[in-house]
Amino acid sequence: MAVMSLREKEARFGWKLVLPTVIIIALLILYPVFYNIYLSFFEVSISDAPNRFVGLQNYREILADSSFWKSFGITILFTFTTVIGSILLGLGVALLMNREFPGRGIVRALLLLPYVTPLIAIVFAWKYIFLPIDGPLMKFLANFGMNPGNDFVNNPNNAFWVVSIFNIWRNFPFVYLMLLSRLQSINSDYYEAAEIDGASDWQKFVHITLPELYFVIASVALLRGIWNFYKFDEVYLMSKFANTLPVYIYEKAFSGIPEQGVAAAIATILFVIMISLIGVYVKKVLKW
Amino acid sequence: MVKKKSFLRTLGFWTLIAALVIFVTYPFAWMVSVSFRYDTDAFEPGIIPKRPTLDTYAILLGFKKSVREELSNEQQQLLDLVKTLPEEQRKAVLAQIESQRKKESFPFLRFFRNSLLLAGLSAFVSLILSIFGAYAFSRIDFKGRGTIQRGVLIVYLFGGTILAVPLYQIFVKIGLTSSGISSAFALFIIYIVQTIPVSLYMLGNYFRTIPRSIEEAAIIDGTSRMGVITKIIIPLSLPAIITVYIYAFMIAWNEFLFASIFVRPFPEFYTLPLGLNEIFNSEHAIWAKMMAASVVTAVPVVVMFMMMEKYLTGGLTAGGVKE
Repeated sequence: MAVMSLREKEARFGWKLVLPTVIIIALLILYPVFYNIYLSFFEVSISDAPNRFVGLQNYREILADSSFWKSFGITILFTFTTVIGSILLGLGVALLMNREFPGRGIVRALLLLPYVTPLIAIVFAWKYIFLPIDGPLMKFLANFGMNPGNDFVNNPNNAFWVVSIFNIWRNFPFVYLMLLSRLQSINSDYYEAAEIDGASDWQKFVHITLPELYFVIASVALLRGIWNFYKFDEVYLMSKFANTLPVYIYEKAFSGIPEQGVAAAIATILFVIMISLIGVYVKKVLKW
Repeated sequence: MVKKKSFLRTLGFWTLIAALVIFVTYPFAWMVSVSFRYDTDAFEPGIIPKRPTLDTYAILLGFKKSVREELSNEQQQLLDLVKTLPEEQRKAVLAQIESQRKKESFPFLRFFRNSLLLAGLSAFVSLILSIFGAYAFSRIDFKGRGTIQRGVLIVYLFGGTILAVPLYQIFVKIGLTSSGISSAFALFIIYIVQTIPVSLYMLGNYFRTIPRSIEEAAIIDGTSRMGVITKIIIPLSLPAIITVYIYAFMIAWNEFLFASIFVRPFPEFYTLPLGLNEIFNSEHAIWAKMMAASVVTAVPVVVMFMMMEKYLTGGLTAGGVKE
């Protein structure tokens, strides 16, 4: 056997270092994605009986189910609302925090709280303040003529809004952090030049700040869009009545009489939509 | 005239800051406030507790027995009565008392320990694997590197929602859902995979900032590649490594979906999110205790984050964030 060149030896060492990672990702992420598609053509048994091949029946069933379409609509709306909401809020806060002021360090630390606190802890805090009659936020809102008896969290008509506002509240710090670090790297010469030309604050924002932020905003929108489209825990723990698709999948697969084949079919649909949207977005918006 | 405008602007600015702070901290303020109250005072108006107490914390952390845990009179009498009963009946009554008491307990410390173990160990394994992987990505040229790197990045966009059903089926097939300990093991593996992509990405970015010349000098002196990793790379990137560890820890500490799928039948193995959610949905009027539990769940993670903030801000923006 020929002596390995240094290059080959290096390459071999490199492979050894990444191999464990590659194996477990392949086994526990890639394989399951395909296995999921496979399962979607079966009636998945929950006992020892073998799965029964049903072809496209699961898909037909879902597409004919009006509650699927309703969930689907809610999920799209949820994704748009939360992405736009968290970007607008994150942008505003980033602009505010880009100024020096006494106490900025403390405010910046506080701003991270919603994002870094374990979900389960803040979910209880939110449920507490939203409790009908007794909850402090409801009592406070009563001063402005709102009926404190409303149960926002557990009312299927309102749950969507509570869950969306909660998601925006929790995730805007992520957007703000990304935008702030980009803001701080914008060359101040641009602003000085614009001032000499007599540009107003608004003009400076539209003609300098926004174009500089374009790619960060677009990338953050993509990430948040993907994550929120899949979002399960924040929605489910906050209100089971918000009925987005991930919650729908979870309930089909793991509660009542499990229909895991159907759940797999919904997950596959979600997956295909997501992949195509990412493809279009990356081409059109990020222009890669 | 100019002065007046700028005064108004300053006022507006501070109003915005104040509004922002209230918006962000409002639920936290109530969480902390209620956690220092008795259960019966949970809905007293006013954010400052009128009868502050550390009672709920003492109960949660096991320094004090809760009223619920103390035997009720009825149970005490039953216990006395039981002694006179024949063997078989005695067993039945005792079992009933036992199950009654179980329902009333709030095994916070157990949840906490489970979460600590699971998150601590899985983040550790994920960290070790990604130190090696990230080193290979940032320093060594090999065929297929680009593909793997992109693959990992794409994979980290797949949410748990899509993987829940197939992963459950796979673990059922290989028999890892039959007992509590094996289900917990399944969770451990899943948490490693869930955290590896971010860890790899963040560490890879950091390793690239370490000058190659330091390593080259060591290699010329006869240090092996492995030696370079353990003696140079790891010590030099300790802040980044700790940040990544905390990040991975938090992902596992927060995880709810897979915990609820895998360990729901085994209360002994409940993690904090699962355990607290189950208790919340089963009992009533325990707001002070829920809030104290929330505070204790949040404090370790929040403190770690605040300590790491200056590293984190860089890492977050450099690495993107996995949730």
